[in-house]
Amino acid sequence: MPTTSAPDEHLRLEGIGVSFGAVNVIPSLDLSVRKGEMVAFLGPSGCGKTTTLRIIAGLNKPSRGSIMVGGRDITHLPIHDRDMGMVFQSYALFPHMDVSHNVQFGLQMRNVPAREAEKRAAQALEMVQLGHLAHRKPKELSGGQQQRVALARALVIEPSILLLDEPLSNLDAKLRDEMRVQIRALQQESGITAVFVTHDQVEALSMCDRVVVMRGGRVEQFGTPTEVYERPATAFVANFVGRTNRLKGTVTAQGTLTGAGQQLRSATRLPAGAVDILVRPHRIRLQETGEADNKVEGTVSTITFIGDLVQYGVSVGGEEIVVEEATRRGRSPLAAGDSVTLGWSAEDTLIYPAGEK
Amino acid sequence: MEIHKTSWPMRILVFVLFVYLLAPVILVFPLSFSGDQVLRFPPSFWSTRWYSALFANSQMLKAFWTSLSLAAIVTALSIVIAVPAAWVMTRLKFTGRDLLFNLFTAPLLLPTIVLGLAILIVFASFGLLATMHGLVFAHLVVTLPYALRVLAVSLSTQDRACEEAARTLGAKPLTVFFRVTVPMLTPGIVAAAALCFLVSFDEVVITLFLTGPRISTLPVELYNYVYNQADPLVAAASALLILLTLAVIMIVERAMGLGKAFVK
Repeated sequence: MPTTSAPDEHLRLEGIGVSFGAVNVIPSLDLSVRKGEMVAFLGPSGCGKTTTLRIIAGLNKPSRGSIMVGGRDITHLPIHDRDMGMVFQSYALFPHMDVSHNVQFGLQMRNVPAREAEKRAAQALEMVQLGHLAHRKPKELSGGQQQRVALARALVIEPSILLLDEPLSNLDAKLRDEMRVQIRALQQESGITAVFVTHDQVEALSMCDRVVVMRGGRVEQFGTPTEVYERPATAFVANFVGRTNRLKGTVTAQGTLTGAGQQLRSATRLPAGAVDILVRPHRIRLQETGEADNKVEGTVSTITFIGDLVQYGVSVGGEEIVVEEATRRGRSPLAAGDSVTLGWSAEDTLIYPAGEK
Repeated sequence: MEIHKTSWPMRILVFVLFVYLLAPVILVFPLSFSGDQVLRFPPSFWSTRWYSALFANSQMLKAFWTSLSLAAIVTALSIVIAVPAAWVMTRLKFTGRDLLFNLFTAPLLLPTIVLGLAILIVFASFGLLATMHGLVFAHLVVTLPYALRVLAVSLSTQDRACEEAARTLGAKPLTVFFRVTVPMLTPGIVAAAALCFLVSFDEVVITLFLTGPRISTLPVELYNYVYNQADPLVAAASALLILLTLAVIMIVERAMGLGKAFVK
C-alpha cells in the first residue's frame, strides 16, 4: 500500500477500520487519491466499498484511522462541514422542492445570496442539459433526469470531493452507457476529485483513472484499469474484473508449468507447488494454425450465441475451457463435437498459488 | 376493470354490509327534517324546526364551540409533541426505545372507561375537573398515541437518504429536521392532525368524567340531552356532525389524497 504521500495527493485514508462488536468489517485500509482523479471502489456487495465512501462523507464513523483531505485531518469533522458532494444510489432528491430548489439547497446552506444561488443552479442544470425542467418536481422526472439533477446538486457547491454511490445501478442499460460518458466528461471538465462506488467492472474500468478492487474490507489491488485487467494482483481480481478460465496446474521444482495435461508457458514465475492458471476467454484463439506459446487440443462441447460474441465450451483433458470469439458473418460455424486447437500467449497465462479464491 | 371482476354474490354481500354499516348514518338525515315531537321513522311531516331549535339552544352552541376549540388545541399540541417524539423513536437508537414507544401508545389498548376513571382521580386532586386545560390534558392522553403511531410509520418509511443528502450539502441537524424531514412528513402530519381532531371532537367516555355545568363538550351535551328527551333535535345535530366529519376528510383528500395520507 502507498504510504509515501504523492505531491498531488488530495484524499488520504490512513488505517481506516470498522468493527461491529468483534467483527472486523474493514480491518485496516490505506488509500491515497490524487487531486483531480476519479477513483472507483469496485467489489462485490459486502466488500466495504459503500461503507468506506460513507466514512469519507462522514455518514459513517470509522472505528479507527484517519481521513485527510488536502493535508487536513477531517476525521472528526461533522458531515455538514466536510464540503463533499454526494450522489446517492436512490438520488435522494428532496420531493417537496422543485428541481431548481433542490440544486440551490447546498448554496443556501453556504449563505449564497438568493439571486446568485438561482443563477448558479440554473448554470448547473444547463450543464446537465436540464435547464428547461428547473421548475418540475423530482417525481415528474425520469430516472435519468433525476440522476442528472442529483449530479448538478452535488457539483454546484463545488465540493472538494465528489462521491458517487452506485449512481448508475437504477438506470436501464442504454441510459447507463450515456450517463457513464456524461459523468466522466463533467468530472474531467471540472477537474474535481471523485470517488465512485460500483460493483460493475465496466463502469469502473471505463470511467475511472484508477480502480480499487476490494474484497472483505481489504484492498486486493489499486491500479489503473489496464493494470487491474492485464496484471491482476490476485486470482480474485482476475475473476472479478472480466471473465476468466481457471485451470488446475503445478509448477515443478525445475520451474516448468503443467496444466490441462501438458506443459504450458506463462510470463509469470512462481515457486514450485500447486497453482491456478487463469486465461481470459477472448485471449484464446479457437483454431490455432500458426505458432503459439501454448497450444492445446480439445473438443467443442457447447456453443452459446450471445450476439456480438459466441461462447464455446471446449473440453480439454477433462477440464472445460471457455473461448469467446467475436461473431463474424459468412463464417462456417463450428459444431459440438468438432476438434479444435486452442492457442494463447504466455503473457495471457496468469498463474496464482492454488486455493486463492 | 378487467382484473377486478368481482362475482355477483360478492357484490351483493359488500352492498349488504355497506347498508348495514351506513344505514343509521343515512337515516339521521331524513330524521333531522322531521316535524314530529318525538324520534319516529318515517316522520309524519317534514320541517326544519329542529334545526332552528338547535341553533336557538345556547347550551348546545356553547358546547359546540367548546368542542371545536378543544379539538383544535388538542390537535395542535398533539402534532407539536408527537413530531419530535416520533423522530426520536425512529431516528435515535437507545436502550428502552421499544418500551418507551409501547408505553406512549398503551392508552390505545386500555378501555377508555378505565382511563377516564384514572384521570378523574388524578385530576380531582389537582383541581383540573371541569376546566379547559383539564380537558386538553385528558384528550392528549387519547390523541397522542394515534398521532405518534401515524407519524412513526410515516417517518420510518421516509427515505433516510434525503436527510443524509441534506447533511452532506451542509445542513446542520436542526436545519435538516425543519427543511427536509418535516416537509417530507407533511402527508403524515395532515393525517395525524385529522385523526386527532376527530378523536378529540368525538370523545365522550373520558370527557364525561371531567365535564360539569361550567364546561361541557358537544358529544357530552348530546348524550345528556338524549338521556332526558327523545326529540329529533339530536338528529339535526348528528346530521351536522356527519357533515363536519366529511368536511375534515375532504380537506385531507384535497390536501394530498386520502390514500397517501392514511395508507402508507
